[in-house]
Amino acid sequence: MKNHRLANIPGSTRIGYWAVLGLATLVLIARLVQLQVMHRTDYRLQSDQNRIREVTLKPLRGLIYDRNGNLLVNNHPAFSLYAVPYELRRNPDLYQRIAENVDRTPTVLKTIVQQNMRGYFQPIRLMRQVDMAVVTDIEEMRTDFPGVGFWIEPIRSFPSSARASHVLGYLGEVTTEELEENTDVDYEPGDVIGKKGIEKIYERLLRGESGLEYVEVDAFGREVRTLKSPPKKEIKPGLNLHLTLDSELQHVSEELMKDLRGSIVMMDLQDGGLLSLVSKPDFDPAELSGVISTEVWDRMQYDPDHPLYDRSVQSVYPPGSTFKLVLAMAAIANDVVKPSWSINCFGSYRLGRRVFKCWRPKGHGRIDLYQAIEQSCNVYFYQLGLKVGLEEWAKFSRYFLLGRKTGIDIPLESAGIVPDKKFMDERYGEGEWTRGMMLNLSVGQGDLLVTTLQMVQFAGLLAKKGVYYTPHLLQSIYDPISDRTESHEADSLRIESISERAYDIVREGMRLVVNGENGTAKLARVTGVEVAGKTGTAQNPHGEDHAWFIGFGPFENPKVAIVVLVENGGGGGAKAAPKAGELLKLYFDINPDQSGDTLPEK
Amino acid sequence: MLSEKLRRNFGILDLGIILTMLSLVAIGLISIYSATGGHDSNFVSNNFQRQIYWFGIGMVLFLLTVSLNPKLYQALAYVIYGIIIIALLAVLVKGSSVGGAARWLSIGGLRFQPSEWAKIATIFALARFLTDNHDKLDDKRRLLMLAGLGLLPMLLIFKQPDLGTALVFLVIVPSMMHWAGVSPLILFLTFMPALTMIASFNLWTFVGVMGVLLSVLFIVKKTVLFSFAHIVLNVLVGVATPFLWTSLEAYQQKRVLSFLGLVSDPKGISYQVIQSKVAIGSGGITGKGFMAGTQTQLRFLPEQHTDFIFSVIGEEFGILGCVIVIFLFVLLLSRGIQLASNLKNRFISLVTIGVTTMFLYHYSVNLGMVMGIMPVTGLPLPFISYGGSFLVTCMIAIGIFVNFSINRHEY
Repeated sequence: MKNHRLANIPGSTRIGYWAVLGLATLVLIARLVQLQVMHRTDYRLQSDQNRIREVTLKPLRGLIYDRNGNLLVNNHPAFSLYAVPYELRRNPDLYQRIAENVDRTPTVLKTIVQQNMRGYFQPIRLMRQVDMAVVTDIEEMRTDFPGVGFWIEPIRSFPSSARASHVLGYLGEVTTEELEENTDVDYEPGDVIGKKGIEKIYERLLRGESGLEYVEVDAFGREVRTLKSPPKKEIKPGLNLHLTLDSELQHVSEELMKDLRGSIVMMDLQDGGLLSLVSKPDFDPAELSGVISTEVWDRMQYDPDHPLYDRSVQSVYPPGSTFKLVLAMAAIANDVVKPSWSINCFGSYRLGRRVFKCWRPKGHGRIDLYQAIEQSCNVYFYQLGLKVGLEEWAKFSRYFLLGRKTGIDIPLESAGIVPDKKFMDERYGEGEWTRGMMLNLSVGQGDLLVTTLQMVQFAGLLAKKGVYYTPHLLQSIYDPISDRTESHEADSLRIESISERAYDIVREGMRLVVNGENGTAKLARVTGVEVAGKTGTAQNPHGEDHAWFIGFGPFENPKVAIVVLVENGGGGGAKAAPKAGELLKLYFDINPDQSGDTLPEK
Repeated sequence: MLSEKLRRNFGILDLGIILTMLSLVAIGLISIYSATGGHDSNFVSNNFQRQIYWFGIGMVLFLLTVSLNPKLYQALAYVIYGIIIIALLAVLVKGSSVGGAARWLSIGGLRFQPSEWAKIATIFALARFLTDNHDKLDDKRRLLMLAGLGLLPMLLIFKQPDLGTALVFLVIVPSMMHWAGVSPLILFLTFMPALTMIASFNLWTFVGVMGVLLSVLFIVKKTVLFSFAHIVLNVLVGVATPFLWTSLEAYQQKRVLSFLGLVSDPKGISYQVIQSKVAIGSGGITGKGFMAGTQTQLRFLPEQHTDFIFSVIGEEFGILGCVIVIFLFVLLLSRGIQLASNLKNRFISLVTIGVTTMFLYHYSVNLGMVMGIMPVTGLPLPFISYGGSFLVTCMIAIGIFVNFSINRHEY
């Protein structure tokens, strides 16, 4: 170091610092004496009178209706018991007196208070959903229960016969993480928040806005009166939501899937609204609203059938033969073959040393594209798959919005998987995967995975020849304050770059699936309405095949698309198609004006 | 080696200052616990836990600061300064904001407030510059560079906007220059334009300040040209200020105005001060007891766990608690002044006086503001107010004291 020795700091400089420190300290202490000694009684009086407390008023959560105005989710009044810690401390036997009235021991109550203590004057919730009898008993003996009272905290109830538990979701107490994520909204510990489904995704609409009022409290923190000034901030109740669901279709769909595992989705092709969205097994939403007992929660968590798992948007499945339609579209649109191109099916196809079977051991004989769709011939599609190739097949799969999320307004949607060359290279190594894998993909097996929601959207795309709307559940929002309804209009979208001719040919094949002599889905027929579709019987590593059906109707002017999936149900034609037929019939019974064209005379 | 040196040089005064620091932090934690346990707290005891967490980080950095060689601080002074300037720029570009002002940077889940760290970094850089150029301090160019070194972080912090912290620099820079031997007159003339800028919000204060400038120039009897140049400079600053002003966003303007006391907001700052005074005054001699202050527990005070934390102490622990806090600060500051006076090495003496000045400013302005005798400038109380970056900065500062004290014989 250079000469960094400090020339002696002049005494005046040092004294300056001592003087500033001394003077500042003197002034501060003088001020303290002035405030805390000389004027302490004045200030004590002011602080005693300064007992204006801000009280948050909780808004009522919005209700949820179906498309016809049937109530799906309602609010049910419930009382929560609270106590003020200050009073509990002053009256040690208060715990005992409360415990005598409710189903809790004094020790439990004490623990609750210790865990939730946020200041002596902040009331603590001791119990939710207290019996009405307890409320009246304690209210009658008010004077014995200083600082004890009730808050009205409604819980959800479900008046409809349609459960729609995965759609509607449920509420739960807000967690610390949720508090931190939502700092722009005034959540408080103990508030409820949507945890799943519509309750979660439209939380902000349903919740409403808390109000504030200023309450004068006495020396014990008890509310004396509500002040007019400062003016209170009015509560804004939550908005009511009208869903696209039809509670009757939803209910019948649920009944059809009773005791089964799987999913049914029906979509209104005029706006993409979902008429029913079923995942089975489901749960009783009432059991999950309000206080959830550990017994109920454990039962749902550890049920081997996973009732909390949403099989309509979250689970992914191999689509089986329903996916042959993608390959057919690609083949025609790319002019790989003409629909009249035919092969001879002997019940199996040999590629190299491997033999790939058709589902019909004795074979389909000589068939063209229409018949191959109608009868779901594997051998035909094996050969078509080799002609079209993986990249084109994957490209068309993506055209039909498969392998990505549909954007439905429900949380936790899965994207599924559509393998392409890049995917296969990454999964199996470059050049390590075989043409045999393409054969599997051609019939909807292999690494391909879809959700049922994606498949109903796909059926709709074929029905409307490329025109579609984003699938959704919200139809309109009603604001009870302004008495105004705001409709949720979905934008009409369109897939370009696929010729109408390709649609016409594939749709004709689908018409034959239901209406042809050898069709695999004859059980999906509906009297008076021409329905088209495709069955699927998907092999899977977890036992029996999954039964699939996708379809739409009426054929000429489609109004509704449907998908039925029965996990491990067996054949699509036998297990899935009849359920679809029954629901389509119900739909056209409910909406006779939508049946459009009549079945051509035979 | 270090332990040997520690045993030899670690004295009673060093133990004392560490205990003082720990006592202040403990008082802070108790007050934060009481202040944030209220009904509308989304954090519940989160703030308390976070502060403990930051205290842990602070202890690690404190020990690190104590154990490093003082020469290293001198060598790295400009590097640290550069990093902090980049961080301050990053805050302006992509900082996360609370209440309209962007002050935080998030790195791996931790939120930093670079403006707090900038205080120490700037003190290092200034001390280094004053040491390297100690024989050329009457050179105009060097004085300007020096002022620039101090004003650059200040302006970046001002722009956030965080006026309370920005003003700390306006005190630290001249104080360190003065300690290094720059004459009061030169200091006055160097920092006059900043004063002019603040004064020019009102015609009469502007005229008044110009009057002061003229009289000083007259008394010291400098040349006509010299005097004229300074008057022109200050008038230009005064005239340019309105143009700079219009380039600020409306909310920034509002903050500046309310800071200068030029807008009346009964529910805002003055409400805060009144409630703070009521809280302290009603505490009386012994206080209302831990967690039993009605002002605190019924949340009459906004920001009571940050800048206004002293009012919680005043209400719940009375004048006894307050005097203990003041006593602890006086201990700390006395040690700082004494150490800075006794250290022989220029660099470490300057750093010590810079840090002491920072504490002195925070101590007197924060307490003055909470008791209603100073304007409200948004300034935390060291060791006690909630806020991780500032707590860690303060603990590092004490680490520097202890380090220099241990090494005092060698440098």
